[in-house]
Amino acid sequence: MPITDQELRELRGHAKQLRKDIIDVTFWAGGAHIGGALSLVEILILLYYKYLHIDPGHPDMPERDRFILSKGHAGVGFAPMLARRGYFDFELLKDFNKFNSPFGMHLDGNKVKGADVSTGSLGHGLSMAVGMALGARLKGRSWRTYCVLGDGECNEGSVWEAAMAAAHYKTTNLITFVDRNKYSVDGPTETVMGIEPFADKWRAFGFIVKEVDGHSYAALSQAIEEAQAETKAPVVIIAHTIKGKGVDFMEDDVRWHYGGLDSDKIVEAKRYIETAVIG
Amino acid sequence: MAVGLTWNVYDANTMTQAEIYGKVLCRLGEENKDIVGLSADLAKSTKIGEFAAMFPDRFFNAGVAEQNMFGMAAGLAKAGLIPFVSTMAVFTTMRAGEQVRTDICYQNLNVKIIATHGGISFGQAGTTHQCTEDIAITRAMANMTVIVPADGIECANAVRACLDINGPVYIRIGRGFEPNCYTTDAYGFEIGKAVEMNPGTDITLICCGITVLQALEAARVLEKSAGISARVINMHTLKPLDGEIIRKAVAETRRIITFEDHNIYGGLGSAVAEVIAEYGKSCAFARVGLPDCFSLVGYPEDLYSHYKLDADGIIEKVKEVMGKDFEDDDSWEDGF
Amino acid sequence: MASHEEKLAAGLFLHALFPLLKVVMNENAGVRKKFAGVNASVQFLARDGEGDVGAYLKFADGRLDVVEGTCPKPDIAFLFASVRRMNAMLGGKPALFKIRGFYKVPLLLKVLALLMNLTLLMPTARPTDPEKKRLKVKLTLYMMAASLSQFNKLGNPDIRKWTSMQPERIYQFSVAGREDMAAYLRVKAGRTQAGPGLYAKRRPFVHMKFRSVDDALPIILNEVNMVMAVEKGYLALEGSPEYARDIGNFMMQIQSLIM
Repeated sequence: MPITDQELRELRGHAKQLRKDIIDVTFWAGGAHIGGALSLVEILILLYYKYLHIDPGHPDMPERDRFILSKGHAGVGFAPMLARRGYFDFELLKDFNKFNSPFGMHLDGNKVKGADVSTGSLGHGLSMAVGMALGARLKGRSWRTYCVLGDGECNEGSVWEAAMAAAHYKTTNLITFVDRNKYSVDGPTETVMGIEPFADKWRAFGFIVKEVDGHSYAALSQAIEEAQAETKAPVVIIAHTIKGKGVDFMEDDVRWHYGGLDSDKIVEAKRYIETAVIG
Repeated sequence: MAVGLTWNVYDANTMTQAEIYGKVLCRLGEENKDIVGLSADLAKSTKIGEFAAMFPDRFFNAGVAEQNMFGMAAGLAKAGLIPFVSTMAVFTTMRAGEQVRTDICYQNLNVKIIATHGGISFGQAGTTHQCTEDIAITRAMANMTVIVPADGIECANAVRACLDINGPVYIRIGRGFEPNCYTTDAYGFEIGKAVEMNPGTDITLICCGITVLQALEAARVLEKSAGISARVINMHTLKPLDGEIIRKAVAETRRIITFEDHNIYGGLGSAVAEVIAEYGKSCAFARVGLPDCFSLVGYPEDLYSHYKLDADGIIEKVKEVMGKDFEDDDSWEDGF
Repeated sequence: MASHEEKLAAGLFLHALFPLLKVVMNENAGVRKKFAGVNASVQFLARDGEGDVGAYLKFADGRLDVVEGTCPKPDIAFLFASVRRMNAMLGGKPALFKIRGFYKVPLLLKVLALLMNLTLLMPTARPTDPEKKRLKVKLTLYMMAASLSQFNKLGNPDIRKWTSMQPERIYQFSVAGREDMAAYLRVKAGRTQAGPGLYAKRRPFVHMKFRSVDDALPIILNEVNMVMAVEKGYLALEGSPEYARDIGNFMMQIQSLIM
């Protein structure tokens, strides 16, 4: 079902807020993985405000959809989004990274409401997602599992072990995303350890591949709905995104994989976020 | 006026003090053409990036794929090269643990591992990026030499010295902002030979890594304000362990406390306990480290304070073991 | 009635900045001579509905003390109708005020000349004379430590929270190799203490070491930010980078209050 104008307005509003929050949390944390959080915004907003069957008031609701942020370092974006969605008080984020805070660079699933698992070490998420999907099927449940991977993360062999298992067990109740922002830490993915032809690899492993503009709600939602209806094989949505999307001086710049901001830069960033039209 | 600082991950690299070993590796690379470097998309934060910049043909980025990286290192060693492999301690000993043990240790290959962010030094990143098990794990791998340098200067010494061993070496360091406890590298560093950093007769503090400097601070305060003479030993090599210096400490001071940025099970404390138990002479003994738990989130200095691994924590533990108490200096007026 | 921030700023001027006049007295023989044999009290007082805010300079036997509160019979009194006006004047900006005892011209001139030395701390002061450069850097280092300590003692909630969570730690500022160009801030469980020199009883938790007087100036004048300063080698930061950054943040907050 195509996104209505009203929905688009709301989604954009939430996304704008999330981008500003990412900037703020980065400041409070003294530094964070900003680039990879900003590239993920549209996917997070679309899932959490339209598609995920969840209830922030009941984070342990048994029939909820599960979400795994396998690229756990995007916690700086995931945490404020969960707060705004109603899982916990936004004010708690002011102590991000501080002593004994439940919030650090990689969210602790034991401590953060709304975080289904603890991630941070790349290459673990998809395996856990496959396990969850199998569990749901075994128990006859209809909830789905959504897993977001980074593209650099796909260097990890364990990702492909999980992919092989997902195809073998036809876990079509698992929908996988790759945030293809084309950079890891040491440089562009293709310079550090090339993953192209990327889509072909997933196909070779037995997945149905959908390549979309990761900042287009229309494209993403169509892909998600097709994935939800798919029963022949698991689906991976390769979302082509821009690292640092939403802040002009960060876009497509590998250096902003991780960084900090002073108050002037924050004002500049928020000004750009306010005026940018994304999605 | 801007409050705060704008910086990014590439800037941060100019701000650490762990430069030293990076430069030493470059110099060694010039002298020995067989040295090659490997990293898992972390060349910038593990300082091996300097070597990479200087010898791009002798550096291999494995991408975010640690198991393959250590496998490749084994292959390179088999081909007659001397690989220096660097990634975080947690990924080295656990993600690629089997490659380290089976491909490298079992085949006794000449691979030098520089494991960074050991212990809870990467406090903010949380448990997924911390490693409080690596000393226990690597000690139990046959053929492995295990070194935990006290600071950047000692790390450089270790990097130089490990080339004299024809076999696997595991060198574990922090995040790179750790203060130096040595002022010169010419103190006679020798693998397997612990260093007595401070003489003492009442109690012995056996440390490795960041706790060495903290223990020296503690010893200074203990001497001044409580008249306690604390011997500080830098046990930089966990395997082969310097049993001689431990037995001497048992006989001469009769009290030993170990301090490590590691779980109390299986690390330095356990290693020292093994020696004491086999020696058979009685000795008051305690181990301080992470009390078999996963660390809280926080900046490392705050975590060290919390887990009593800083100077104050060490002083407190000594007080407890010795049953003593002493005065505090409490004037809080500004002195201008 | 003065706002909380105005009172904070006043506290910083009176209790962090004024004591530095003692340094000026000690370093500058000419000034010292002027005050030799002078026994007098000079009051600074601002009217405020919640209680007047002020302190006085007590010159006696060639020494200077800064005393909080009001002096019973000051020789000269600088009187301000509001805390805001006193802050303006002490910050080197134009302000209206009354001087009681203005006819004591020699003393008044000496005091004004002494106060003028503090303009060296202003971001606009760019001395070229090596002696003045040295004094500027020294006064700045002292002011950094003193103002951070006072900021906490005066109860600013941000820095209070920051100090309350810490075990005993020393934040050291210095010009490399110069014991006379150093100041420290000692922090422990909500309390702070600042002082001159290199703190000997405990190793510094954070040490901001400027390479030289000339290298310190561009940083102090905000021409170069901390990251760049470290990159260029003007400044070496030893110890926790996160806490060093916190110090930098508080310094900027303090600066925006009083400059």
